[in-house]
Amino acid sequence: MDLPAGTRNYTYAQDMAILRTRTHWFLFVLLLVAIFTAPLYWGNYWLGVANLIGITIIAAIGLNILTGYCGQLSIGHAGFIAVGAYTSAVLTERLGLPFPVGLISAGITAGLVGMLFGIPSLRVKGFYLAISTIAAQFIIIWVINHWTGVTGGFVGMRVPYASIGGLVFKSESSQFYLIIGITCLTVFFAKNLARTRAGRAFVAIRDNDLAAEVMGISLFRYKLMAFFIGCFFAGISGSLLAHWIGYMNAEHFSLTTSILYIGMIIIGGLGTALGPILGVVFLKLLDQLLTVQLVPFLESTFTALPAGFATGIAPMVFGLVIVLFLILEPRGLAHRWQLFKAAYRLWPFSY
Amino acid sequence: MRSKRLLALSVVLCLVVVAGMLPLAACGPTAEKTLKIGMTTPSSGPAAEKGSPMGHANLDCIKYVNEELGGVDGHQIEVLWLDNGYDAAKAATIVKRFIDEDCLFFTTASSGMMSAMMELANRDYFPGISSFSSPVLTHPPRHIYGQTPDYGDDWAAFARYFMDNIWKGPGKPRMAMHLLNNPTGYGARDAARALADDFGIEIDFDNWVFEHATTTTSEIASLTTILDDDIDILYISSTPAPTSIIIKNAVELGMFPDMLIGCGHASFTKALIDLAGADVVEGVYGVYPTVDWDDDVPGLAKVIEYCKKEHPNDYGNMDYIISWAQSLIAVEILRLAVQNAGIENLTPQVVEEQGFKKLKDFDVGGLHGPVTYSPGDNRLSKSVRVFQIKGGAITPVSGWVEAPLVKYEEYDWFGK
Repeated sequence: MDLPAGTRNYTYAQDMAILRTRTHWFLFVLLLVAIFTAPLYWGNYWLGVANLIGITIIAAIGLNILTGYCGQLSIGHAGFIAVGAYTSAVLTERLGLPFPVGLISAGITAGLVGMLFGIPSLRVKGFYLAISTIAAQFIIIWVINHWTGVTGGFVGMRVPYASIGGLVFKSESSQFYLIIGITCLTVFFAKNLARTRAGRAFVAIRDNDLAAEVMGISLFRYKLMAFFIGCFFAGISGSLLAHWIGYMNAEHFSLTTSILYIGMIIIGGLGTALGPILGVVFLKLLDQLLTVQLVPFLESTFTALPAGFATGIAPMVFGLVIVLFLILEPRGLAHRWQLFKAAYRLWPFSY
Repeated sequence: MRSKRLLALSVVLCLVVVAGMLPLAACGPTAEKTLKIGMTTPSSGPAAEKGSPMGHANLDCIKYVNEELGGVDGHQIEVLWLDNGYDAAKAATIVKRFIDEDCLFFTTASSGMMSAMMELANRDYFPGISSFSSPVLTHPPRHIYGQTPDYGDDWAAFARYFMDNIWKGPGKPRMAMHLLNNPTGYGARDAARALADDFGIEIDFDNWVFEHATTTTSEIASLTTILDDDIDILYISSTPAPTSIIIKNAVELGMFPDMLIGCGHASFTKALIDLAGADVVEGVYGVYPTVDWDDDVPGLAKVIEYCKKEHPNDYGNMDYIISWAQSLIAVEILRLAVQNAGIENLTPQVVEEQGFKKLKDFDVGGLHGPVTYSPGDNRLSKSVRVFQIKGGAITPVSGWVEAPLVKYEEYDWFGK
């Protein structure tokens, strides 16, 4: 008989398990069924939104590993996504290589570029590291815009459909399965990374890098590893984005996008596995609600409003939400979820 | 304990059912047959100074057509308008929404946003019109149409006017270019690469061609590099905010008004005068594919009436005129499609074949050049006019100048 409090683990495997009870497994399977049957009841538009959310979650998880777990602030994440996008686009469109090669190469290339721009992290941190990652953003975009023979420069370049073998991911549903599959693998990796030696080293570096070094953790090795892993996922995300949109232009990877990613992981909860997922879903759905529902309603119904008022509401609400989260719940939605679960377990008692 | 588990399971099941039903909630009882089109403008974000009046004009014109003209052959036009915020990923989901919502075609204002949407639209054979076009959108010609001449055509028309009417010096005039770092700017560069030699204009593409971002705050550094190069003319292909900064910087360096400045149509609107100041931009030339507010053309009366009634702050902004004309073209496309194929048979592909490709000499009330589809040329209107800013007003100095078709896809440097 299960008791409402305390744990009863008799093996290491039970103690380390992510899903520890039959209820956990049932809910998890139910979630997977709900996700993977989505194409049966969602149209192309909502599948497109889900695809964009999936792509964004992969990049946000990468940034969370770098910033949330290892404490290395990066405000150039969109630049690393662009590296992955263009790597995959060039390899598949110009060189005719298969999509899986483009996908993995996108991750590796973005990871290596991330490591290069992560070298300053060995000497600087905090605000100064943020400036160097902003420099990465601008340098990468400049290179993309001026390497015209390879990237098409300012004009951009077309990107073919993703394909594996003879299977071409043309329809929105097939792209959904591809993107959500890779997203699930990414979430699984990130959750387990936090429980490995490397994950614990990242946290130690974040909490006190001097103490971590004294304990024998190599800052050089683990900081660069964090940059590589974080930017690897950014590259994977970029590759999926390129093949989903079908056309690449450096304008798609602005500094504003990089800052928005920081906002997503803050709202979701830094340093948690669930945080990037909650943050991305929350902000993307908020964006849809404002852009698709609220603004057209205001524009068409209240024509006496000052010019630009209705369309200005969306960015205003975005900024307000980020500020409110920083003030009221700086630990993000993941912390709120933890509090809810704890309250549910203890209900009707409060402690 | 067991009741808590059951409660949790039932809550989760309810959430799953609700989440699954939400996207279907938009479905309602079938209404009278309407003609549905999608329209998207960057009404917020870095291009809002152009996108906002354009969005207003799109909707005001459709309102005029529905209320005063009874729609298209008695069928009301239903517009699904969405703000893309000049965000490429959002624009990609918007075009999917248009397709999902059974829109017959879509319109957009910006060439930058159309470049994010065009591949998705082309893949689904979903036709679209962009107010502002660039060569990459319509070359090779597929399912994306440019309402007006593209940014390359702007350069070609302005260069032709400059050589025929302004340049009196010996030899070749020396031209520098300042380009927005997207298809808006580089469309003009591509035209210059293709035609500069033919026009007898000297352009050093390595040293006299600069780029800038929409967020630029100063171009003193780039302009300083050409201070001693005896540049006769600076051509700017950008949006109003960066253009105003470049012109101010040119004045500060003493380059203007000694050097002539010409602007592409993406920046040459009332917003430029408001941002830079009338005294700063006095004498600047520009091209625009529409008439201006003081012209005497039949179609302008309704534009002025609705603008003053619905969005008086947009009065004087030429972007409003271009989007009004875009909506008139959309209405004509629907009318042709209904006439040729019947309302029951309309699909995006049918509308393209029986609407878009049947456009011939359609007059948008004189607001811009006649609209005609030519096979192999997805520019619907091919003429621009040259204007000059005099006394704080944009004044026409030429008639309609037709821009030649340049087959960029035949140049091996195109798209590189």
